[in-house]
Amino acid sequence: MIEETPQIHYSDKEKNEIFHGEFMPHINSMYNFAYRLTLDGDDAKDLVQDTYLKAFRFIESFQRGTNAKAWLFRILKNSFINDYRKKSKEPNKVDYQEVESYYNSEDVDRQITPDLRVEALKDMIGDEISNALNSLDVDFRTVIILCDLEGFKYEEMAKILDIPIGTVRSRLHRARQLLKEKLSTYAKSMGYKSTTL
Amino acid sequence: MLQVILDGEASSEQKEYFKTHMDLCMPCFKGYELDMAIKQLVQSKCCGGDAPSDLVQQIRSQISQKIS
Repeated sequence: MIEETPQIHYSDKEKNEIFHGEFMPHINSMYNFAYRLTLDGDDAKDLVQDTYLKAFRFIESFQRGTNAKAWLFRILKNSFINDYRKKSKEPNKVDYQEVESYYNSEDVDRQITPDLRVEALKDMIGDEISNALNSLDVDFRTVIILCDLEGFKYEEMAKILDIPIGTVRSRLHRARQLLKEKLSTYAKSMGYKSTTL
Repeated sequence: MLQVILDGEASSEQKEYFKTHMDLCMPCFKGYELDMAIKQLVQSKCCGGDAPSDLVQQIRSQISQKIS
């Protein structure tokens, strides 16, 4: 992506302004994203650092006033796939064929909803939801982070992830379903009676 | 449908339709309520707080070396 974009010449002063004014304000979100991807504090730090150095190196591909956060998230996601995912202990690959056909089936809006009630959620402390999210496959985890945590629009997510919007939506749908299943298991273990919606 | 409403990506027609529909359809209302509660829970519990300060310092100093 970086190579394709037109280059803009910036002075050192401008580079400094962009870096500190537009890139650094996203450091907390970037670290959280990196941590949720790698599930390791040191790897997350390395990933964020690599991403920021890369962002600086390619700063002339960044157009001022455009969405810096989405641009940075995209670099981080690509760095993760290229440099970290290979060495991480993340063996399971999602069968998207299966996911797509699931989504396109007619049952999609009439599927069995896991037994979970809003009241059960109210008693969940941070750890349960956080662990449930972390336990999802990384591709499912990612769409929930981008959408629910970071508030990216579907179109922005499609650009960050290099996938069509339709895939963003189907992946998100499936991710939420899986998260609900996890939370439902927690709720049951906490003694909530399983009540169908 | 529910998802686009939830994520604020629905058109005004979809929103209107959903609003009318939800008043009549309990399962949809419940489903929406649950999904929204989970979304809000994720937002409030999974933000992670601030990045480690040594990381921030390290990045800043590396960049200032490159610029000067």
